[in-house]
Amino acid sequence: MSLSIKIRKVLGSSGGHRTSQNRELSGAPDTGAFSLDVEFDVPSGFTILFGASGSGKTTTLKAISGIVRPDAGRIAIDNEVLFDSAERVDLPIRARGVGFVFQDLALFPHLSALANVEFGMSGLSRAERRQRAQATMEALRISHTTERKPRQISGGEAQRVALARALASQPRILLLDEPLSAIDEATKRGIIADLKSINRELRLPIVYVTHSREEAVSLGERVIVYEQGRVVASGEPVSVFGTPVTASVARLTGVENIFNALVVSKSENAGTITVEISDARGTCRVDVPFGNQAPGEHVTIAVPSGDILLATEEPRSTSLRNRLRGKIVTIDEELNRTVVRVEAGVMWSASVTRQAVTELELSEGKQVWLAFKTHSCYLVDRTS
Amino acid sequence: MAQIDWFPLALSLRVALIATAFVVLVGVALGWLLARRRFFGRELLDAAVTLPLVLPPTVLGYYLLVLLGRRSPIGQAIQAVTGRSLVFTWEGAVVAAIIGALPLMVKTSRAAIAAVDTNLENAARTLGQSELRVFWRVTMPLASRGIIAAAMLAFARALGDFGATLMVAGDIPGRTQTAAIAIFDAAQAGRDDYALVLVLILSAVALALVYSTNKLTAGER
Repeated sequence: MSLSIKIRKVLGSSGGHRTSQNRELSGAPDTGAFSLDVEFDVPSGFTILFGASGSGKTTTLKAISGIVRPDAGRIAIDNEVLFDSAERVDLPIRARGVGFVFQDLALFPHLSALANVEFGMSGLSRAERRQRAQATMEALRISHTTERKPRQISGGEAQRVALARALASQPRILLLDEPLSAIDEATKRGIIADLKSINRELRLPIVYVTHSREEAVSLGERVIVYEQGRVVASGEPVSVFGTPVTASVARLTGVENIFNALVVSKSENAGTITVEISDARGTCRVDVPFGNQAPGEHVTIAVPSGDILLATEEPRSTSLRNRLRGKIVTIDEELNRTVVRVEAGVMWSASVTRQAVTELELSEGKQVWLAFKTHSCYLVDRTS
Repeated sequence: MAQIDWFPLALSLRVALIATAFVVLVGVALGWLLARRRFFGRELLDAAVTLPLVLPPTVLGYYLLVLLGRRSPIGQAIQAVTGRSLVFTWEGAVVAAIIGALPLMVKTSRAAIAAVDTNLENAARTLGQSELRVFWRVTMPLASRGIIAAAMLAFARALGDFGATLMVAGDIPGRTQTAAIAIFDAAQAGRDDYALVLVLILSAVALALVYSTNKLTAGER
């Protein structure tokens, strides 16, 4: 089974939208009107829609499910057309066979967890409904919540109830809108494991909206990166996140070191170009892979913080071409890494383990060396 | 005070009950339409339905007399079907009570329905539910407190209608004389004891209704 999507819709801050849609747009950096204009196919398995809030991800899900009507386009599951502006086809939401887990879950507050899961199974006998609902809830390990109301269960349980409710209606495709955004790490890992086994079992096209790089990498068979209503990158998570093609993708996918730079020289033999990065603080030069840029041209480069080596002495006998001397400005503990900010001409971020901080006796103000490979630097297209 | 005439009170009760039943049906439907559908003239419709709340009751009564009278198409249609006119009958009092109580019902149920998260309704639709089922299984249960409160207010309003009822149904003791009109009559004729009994009963009922309405809506969310 496969879902094909081609939609265009003008989105904007001015009227014409119901409040439920405006919620996603409210976080947009630019509140002016922009349009959603995307086209892609979703095969069976996970497809991650990745992007900042306000980039049109949720609107895409709402268009697929029929909650939002695109201005133009075509949406089809295999050969069955759900929406086609040219042929004037616009199936009502209920006839689309789309399972939707909403960002706020949208569990019915007046019904028990079990009644929520049974809700979409009209047309079956009472006994069949109960049996299927219980089986689904058991598979998701939420049997103990059956009699409770949504407000009486935990966030992780509520998430599973919403998932069970969508699955129990036996949808042809599954849409998940940031389903793990409000859940603690441990629960998250459990649900990701469940989602993977659901995926193995059912092989439905699953569209999963997130702005978490970890979720995208751990679930994604395919990632589609959105920016301002456009698809700016797509492919396997490793390639999309590993080699960001544009500055915005790099920023979205969490590459911390992004600089505007000037090409100063070009070495055909070495296959590298040397660029000069400068900001208000100072300048530094780095070698980056060869591109079609000429000296004097402005480029943008991106260096993932995880690719930068930190040393207390100059690391001479390595293959690392880029070595910069600098001073530690801050050391920040984050969830599962430590980010060290180093001023070396310009401000760099390097992520290291907590252990490394202790062993190297890193502290603020200390002199260090930064080193990284030429090929850890990505020349990225500049998007205005 | 010899014998208390309970007829006006019984009539008021009957008129208010029938009017409320009608007002709930029409009011919830209109409330849903105004809360959930976008159409040309939506706010105009809301304004038109609200009008009885602010117009002098005599103006309403006048409109109703004209609408239900022998010369209007509506009046003639009613005459043709039932064989009589609604003017100066207790059924006319029901119509007056309906018009008076409708704004409260529509306004309150529109607000109650608008407060239901549209995401929940959309979730029900993605689960294959028709619009009617979405309404009965999601919108109605979640708006029910507000709608019950609205119905109680509408009943209270219908129970006490005076001006429009007087103009449409008249003041015929034993036939169209409701409690509110009987109080007026009694006060005019110096039967203060009788007026006081009715006044106290109507006040008590109104107080109980408004009190429980407040209780109901305060418990929301």
